[in-house]
Amino acid sequence: MKKYNITVNGVSYEVEVEEIGGQAVSAPRAAAPAPAPKAAPAAAPKAAAPKAAPAPAAAPAGGESVSAPMPGTILDIKVAVGDSVNAGDVLIILEAMKMENEIMAPASGKVVSVNTTKGASVNSGDVLVVIG
Amino acid sequence: MAVNKLEDLRERRATIISGGGEKRIAKQHASGKLTARERLDLLFDEGTFVELDAYVKHRCTNFGMEKVDAPAEGVVTGYGKVDGRIVYAYSQDFTVVGGSLGEMHAAKICKVMDNALKVGAPVVGLNDSGGARIQEAVDALSGYGKIFYKNTLASGVIPQITAIMGPCAGGAVYSPALTDFIFMVDQTSQMFITGPQVIKTVTGEEVTAEALGGAMTHNTVSGVAQFIANNDEACIAEIRRLLSFLPSNNMETAPVYGCDHDVNELAEALNDIMPDNANKPYDMFDIIKTIVDNGDYLEYQPYFAKNIITAFARIDGQTVGIIANQPKFLAGCLDVNASDKSARFIRTCDAFNIPLLNIIDVPGFLPGTQQEYGGIIRHGAKMLYAYSEATVPKVSLIVRKAYGGSYLAMCSKDLGADLVLAWPTAEIAVMGPQGAANIIFRTEIKEADDPKATRERVIKEYTDEFATPYKAAERGFVDDVIEPAATRPRLADAFDMLASKREVRPAKKHGNIPL
Repeated sequence: MKKYNITVNGVSYEVEVEEIGGQAVSAPRAAAPAPAPKAAPAAAPKAAAPKAAPAPAAAPAGGESVSAPMPGTILDIKVAVGDSVNAGDVLIILEAMKMENEIMAPASGKVVSVNTTKGASVNSGDVLVVIG
Repeated sequence: MAVNKLEDLRERRATIISGGGEKRIAKQHASGKLTARERLDLLFDEGTFVELDAYVKHRCTNFGMEKVDAPAEGVVTGYGKVDGRIVYAYSQDFTVVGGSLGEMHAAKICKVMDNALKVGAPVVGLNDSGGARIQEAVDALSGYGKIFYKNTLASGVIPQITAIMGPCAGGAVYSPALTDFIFMVDQTSQMFITGPQVIKTVTGEEVTAEALGGAMTHNTVSGVAQFIANNDEACIAEIRRLLSFLPSNNMETAPVYGCDHDVNELAEALNDIMPDNANKPYDMFDIIKTIVDNGDYLEYQPYFAKNIITAFARIDGQTVGIIANQPKFLAGCLDVNASDKSARFIRTCDAFNIPLLNIIDVPGFLPGTQQEYGGIIRHGAKMLYAYSEATVPKVSLIVRKAYGGSYLAMCSKDLGADLVLAWPTAEIAVMGPQGAANIIFRTEIKEADDPKATRERVIKEYTDEFATPYKAAERGFVDDVIEPAATRPRLADAFDMLASKREVRPAKKHGNIPL
């Protein structure tokens, strides 16, 4: 049994993780505390499989995250949390490589979160919008 | 001839044609796949397929194999015609011992390749195999090795096309990888070196076969495959279409088709296609569709490195290979994957005498640690190498941005472009106006009373003076600045003029392309 302290939005949770061999993935998830939907599922399997490569960006559960394809500046944000979008709709204008790049929705759904602001500098891989 | 001998022949043939038997054929159909013979029937013009080596048998006696009858040795081989031209093919039969590859199975494939090389005809391989026939041990391994060797010898001489239409795992993946084109059928085909079970045992990582090596994975993430189809029928139709763009071998040129699309047609729409703001994206396909015959093209790797477009099309009936930046994706910049994709495509075209059309709107190489650590220097070098090495007619059309090293990498005059045309919207310069102004006028901006206004003024001066095609045209780096509407007639004329191009290179064993 291993103990981890996990902080989610400033609240600290003590999590116990038990390694039980091959079936490890589902068990720790059930043991994770309920009020931490964002970090717990991502953290638990990681602890159970210490050899696994670190995920590049922990995607929030239950949504498809849209990340910056290259480093640049956010010129405009076309959507707000709660908006319904269709696949192919323009979410964000990212100015990079002398171009106002249209960042489009990969799938239809509702905007769960907007993780950037107008004028912000972003790196490739940074999560910009999450669609649920 | 005695009647019974004829009957004997017919019986033998019927047994072979029935493959693995009704039950296994039904199972093959139930899993959404056609049989080996049905696939060949679709590939070839009706009634032209001639089977070879139907009576070949394996000679394995290990593990009870002596009792196993494998009709046609689990692979149907032969030749036939596609649009009237000879094509060789082999088609693995999953209903016969799982299409597993043994010594004689491999020998049949090798014979097809030998014959195809002799007559200078393309080889199409339809793969659907469980892998090596374990009972045949090192004989099966040797079979794979021989196929790899022949794939390599045939490379650049005859087009080699592989379709993955079932499992393809372990060493079996390398024959397709050595060929020129890989097609994959969505949901029914997978390619991987080690399967999900082995991965789970060794690293603990859990992944499905489809996510690991499915058609979409190899068409989007890895870039291993160039084409994807929804089912067997569509896949084979696409193979036939691809063959129509290719010559039969490296000594011929691609077949020329009649063209009902007027080559002298002026496309007024092209005069307005470029956004006023040079930082606005547009769809490069809108330009390509206007230029090529009937707006028809076959895209190579449509889902991989979408920032660069590679496609076969025809201008005045003649095949051209198009390499074009796509401003809609990643600003059309060059990165590791775009370099690999285009370099491979350029070399494929050069090997088979297909002229190159480069449509340029490139802002630069993508900056960042990811790219540098990924080896953008050696990957980008492949593009420079491939363009410089190519001796086919090379025509470059600069429609907007052409900056710095990326301008060179898209086949500038210096890399051997035979003709460089530019639209008046072209900006050919060492770097973008903002960056250049910041460097050249650094002190002037810093010491000005109003640095912001000064900066804007010098940027405008630089843009007006240098972000044009005329500075390059003054030096002869651009042969002509043309009206966009006249692009199709000018390109048709250019390729017609270059048809007899001959270029002699120093003798060498082979070059050393950075890999």
